[in-house]
Amino acid sequence: MNGRGHVRFEQIVKMHGNFKALKGVDFDIRPAEFFALLGPSGSGKSTTLRILAGLDAPTSGRVTIDGKDVTSADARDRDVAMVFQSYALYPHMTVFENIAFPLEMAKMAKADIAPAVQDAARKVKIEHLLERKPGQLSGGQQQRCALARAIVRRASLFLLDEPLSNLDAKLRLETRAELKKLQRSLGVTAVYVTHDQEEAMTLADRMAVFMAGEIEQIGTPAEVFARPNSLDVAAFIGSPPMNLIPARLAGGNVIIAGQPLATTRADLSDRNVTVGIRPSAFRIGPTGLPAKVDLVEDLGDSAVLDLDCAGTRVRARINHDNIPPENSSVFVTARPQDIHLFDPDTRKRI
Amino acid sequence: MTAKRLRIAAVIVISLIFILAWMFPILWSFLNSLKTDKDVLAYPPKVLFAPTLEAYRDVLFGSASILPNLVSSFIISIGTTVITMLLAVPAAYALARLRFPGKRFAGFYVLATQMLPPVGIIIPYFLVLRGIGWIDTYQGIILIYLSFSLPFAIWLLVSYFEDIPFEMEEAAYLDGASRLRTLWRIIIPQVRGGISVTVVFVFLNAWNEFLFAVVLSGNTVRPVTVAMYNFISVEQTLWTKLAAVSVLAMLPVILLGIFAQKHIVKGLTVGAVKGGGRR
Repeated sequence: MNGRGHVRFEQIVKMHGNFKALKGVDFDIRPAEFFALLGPSGSGKSTTLRILAGLDAPTSGRVTIDGKDVTSADARDRDVAMVFQSYALYPHMTVFENIAFPLEMAKMAKADIAPAVQDAARKVKIEHLLERKPGQLSGGQQQRCALARAIVRRASLFLLDEPLSNLDAKLRLETRAELKKLQRSLGVTAVYVTHDQEEAMTLADRMAVFMAGEIEQIGTPAEVFARPNSLDVAAFIGSPPMNLIPARLAGGNVIIAGQPLATTRADLSDRNVTVGIRPSAFRIGPTGLPAKVDLVEDLGDSAVLDLDCAGTRVRARINHDNIPPENSSVFVTARPQDIHLFDPDTRKRI
Repeated sequence: MTAKRLRIAAVIVISLIFILAWMFPILWSFLNSLKTDKDVLAYPPKVLFAPTLEAYRDVLFGSASILPNLVSSFIISIGTTVITMLLAVPAAYALARLRFPGKRFAGFYVLATQMLPPVGIIIPYFLVLRGIGWIDTYQGIILIYLSFSLPFAIWLLVSYFEDIPFEMEEAAYLDGASRLRTLWRIIIPQVRGGISVTVVFVFLNAWNEFLFAVVLSGNTVRPVTVAMYNFISVEQTLWTKLAAVSVLAMLPVILLGIFAQKHIVKGLTVGAVKGGGRR
C-alpha cells in the first residue's frame, strides 16, 4: 500500500447548458480502495469520472487528490491513468510503443523504459504480443494492452470506464477476477464506472450509486444490497430486481393481496408504503400469500417463478429442489427482516 | 448464365470505350511528339512512321527551351503545396475538434469559396496583385493558388480528422502529452493517408492550372501550361513541339497518379462516406 490516491469530491456541480448533469456530488475515496461508480446511463457516473480525470471541468465544487486541489489542473498534471471503454489504443503504434508512450511523455530514460514495459506486459500476460499492432489483437488482448498502458506509469489513481463492456460474457468474468487481483497486488486506488450492478458488487470495496445526477447511496456492496436507501437503488441492485409492491402498513404488518405479512417495524403508525422483497427472500410454505405459478424459468441450480398473487405480480427465486409446476397454486412468505419499506412519495427508505 | 456473361461483356465493352476516349488525346500527343513536322501533317494520319526525338531536343535544349517553365511550374506547385499543407492541417484539426463560436459558419464559408466560378474573380485578383506589385512573381501566383487550394485542402482533411475518436486524444492527454504533442504523435500519423491524398490533389491542381496563370504571370514566371501556348501562333502551330511539351507536362502528373493511386482511391471513398462532424 503506497497510501496515495485519496480522492475527495466536494459539492461538485456540472451543467451541460441548462441541464444539471451533476447536482452537488460529495464523496471520499480512500487510498488503495476499489471504488465503483454505479448507475444507469445518464446518471452522471461517467461525468464524475471525467471530472476526476481532468477531461471535464466542474461548474462548481472542489476536487482534491491526496490533499491537493486539482479542480482546475490539466489531465496530464494529475498523475491519473485511465482505461477507456473503447481502449483508445494508438493504432499506428505497436503494443510496446503504446505501453511505452506514457513513460516517454514522462521523460523517463530510454534504458528504463523497456524493462518497465516488459514488466507491465507480464502483469497482464501480453509479453508475447509486444511487437503487434492493436489491429492484430483480439478484443481481450486489446483490453489487456490498455490495462498495461495504464499501470505502467504507477499513477496514484487508476480510472476505469466500463472496461469490460466490450468483452464477451465468459471473458468478462475471467477478466473481472484478474482485474481485482491486479488492483490488490498493485495496491493502487481504482475508480470503476459501470452500469452493471453485478460487476460493481463483485469488484468494489465500496460503491456509489448514482441516480439522475446525484449519489443515492454510498456503501459496501453488502450494505447497499442489504439496506437500499431508496426505491431507485432497491430496483437497480440485484438480479432479478427487487419486487416493489404498493401496500398498506397496518399494525406492523403489510397487507398484500389481502394477506398480512409481518415486518420488523411495529413502531410505525398505519400508512401507505411500497414494500420491497427480493426474489430470493421468498419462501414457499404451507401458509402465506396465495399465488398462482404463471411461468417457471429454470436456471439449473435455481428457478425464477412469475407469480400472480391475486392480481399483484411478483417474482421469486426458489431453490432447485422444490420448484412447483407451472399453473399450480402455492403459498409464499418472507421473513420480517427481508421486508423493506419505502415511502411511496419521497421514495426513501422508511 | 448467358445473361450474366452478356452483362459482363457489356460492362467490358463500355469500359473499353471510356478508356479509349480517355487514352486517345494522350496517345495522340505521344505519337505526334515522336513524328517529324512532315509526318504530323500527313493525311491520312500515319500510324507507322520513323520515330524521332527531335521535337524533345528542341523544346528542352533549343532556343525556346521550356526547361525554365518546367522549373517555374515546380516552384509554384511545390510552394503552393507546402504552404497549403502547413496551414490546412492545423486548420482542419481545429475545425474537426475545437468548439468555438461561428464554427458552423466557418465550415460553410470554406465550402462556399469552392463554389465561385473562377472567371468571376480573375479581374479583381489581377487588380489586387497589380496594386501590390506582385504580377509576374512567384509569391503572387502562389498567393492566388492558396486562395482556392487552402479551402479545398481543409475541407478534404476535416473528414479524416473527424474519423479519429475523441477518446484517443483524451488517452494521450492522460498519458501526459500536451495538445501539440498529441497532434504530432497521435493524430497526424493516423491521417497520413488523408494528407497524402490532399498533397496529391493540391499539387496537381497547381500544376495543371492555366486560367489564372495566363493572366497573372509574365515573362519572368511562366508555368509550363502557359508556355505551351507559345507553340500555337497566328501563322502556324508547331504540332510536334506542342505534343512534346504536353507529354513532358503530363509526365509528373501521370507518375504521381500511379504512385499515389492506392491512397487516392481509398481517400476518395473515406471522404465520400463520411457525413458531417460529430462535434
